[in-house]
Amino acid sequence: MPSLIDIRRRVRSVKNTQQITKAMKMVSAAKLRRAQDQAIAARPYGILLRQMLANVAQGAANDPDAGAHPLLAVRPEQRILLVVITADSGLAGAFNSNLIKLAHRFADEHRNATLTFELIGKKGVNYFRRRFSGIAGTHTDLFRRVKFEDAERIANRIIARFEAGEVDSVYLFTNEFKNAMAPALTSTRILPIEVPKTAATVDYIYEQNPGELLGSLLPRYVKLLVYRAFLESVAAEHAARMVAMDAATKNAGDVIDKLTLLMNRVRQASITREIIEIVSGASALK
Amino acid sequence: MADTLHIEIATPEKLVVDQQADYAEIPGKDGYMGILPGHAALLSELAHGKLTLTTGGKTESFTVTGGYVEVRDNHVRVLADGVE
Repeated sequence: MPSLIDIRRRVRSVKNTQQITKAMKMVSAAKLRRAQDQAIAARPYGILLRQMLANVAQGAANDPDAGAHPLLAVRPEQRILLVVITADSGLAGAFNSNLIKLAHRFADEHRNATLTFELIGKKGVNYFRRRFSGIAGTHTDLFRRVKFEDAERIANRIIARFEAGEVDSVYLFTNEFKNAMAPALTSTRILPIEVPKTAATVDYIYEQNPGELLGSLLPRYVKLLVYRAFLESVAAEHAARMVAMDAATKNAGDVIDKLTLLMNRVRQASITREIIEIVSGASALK
Repeated sequence: MADTLHIEIATPEKLVVDQQADYAEIPGKDGYMGILPGHAALLSELAHGKLTLTTGGKTESFTVTGGYVEVRDNHVRVLADGVE
């Protein structure tokens, strides 16, 4: 049986761990709120841009002068670019591993194509760098504060490669923020662009011709998709970490309860033994 | 015809302006445009320039660094790259 001191030491160590997990949960909750606020703030622009793009695309379709835009070019998927957005840090449950698994499975299914990767977030970088060649770019430390410029920079790299014909399609793998409990894994094709549809077309006065307008709207749309994925991923990351740390705190509580019970039992056993010794010692003197 | 314009100015990061105005002057790519209530539906790219809103004699101005504007049913929606 372990000694009383050993158990006490273990209880203390578990308590320390519990304090850390509790603090991490609190921090994640605060960061989650901020990430959510940021995601909500970004929403109006996204909605407006989508509507505008849908309308302009319709307008451009009716415009005989507008040629097909390179970002809409559908080619056979022989070279695929995978954009994988993971977190920079772990301790967030299955947040990173599930996403990595999803991307890896996709890569396995497309063995015949030439795959290249654009990796965002340390966890994904570390994983794919060891297992795949063809890492086009790695980006880390962007999530402390999500900036549109960062998303824009990465989107520009992707667009350039697609326009140059280096890749035939681009898939984006990310955790989307569904609710606080579980992130939703998503993989979407961002290039070639699938233009959002609109129900009601408006007959606009076009200050520039629709084809030209479409040409400048499309890259912006890709940037927006990447930026939105960033925001979603960050919110989902903090939510996942919050849940994981909450579970860890609870588990630590259970361990402490069990150890406390054991500790009391050990103490009681030693007291009982001492009493028996005293009683038997006394009766021997009789 | 409504007698005011509903102005929304959004950047990728947040909605900057959401208010009513009587008149908006917008830096279109091909020159400044004045928008009054009842304007026909219009789409244009923006240039870097000064966007001015007039409400009841008071004017407010913002510097936008490119983007797009949509005018429709007395709604002016500005998608700016940046607003200062």
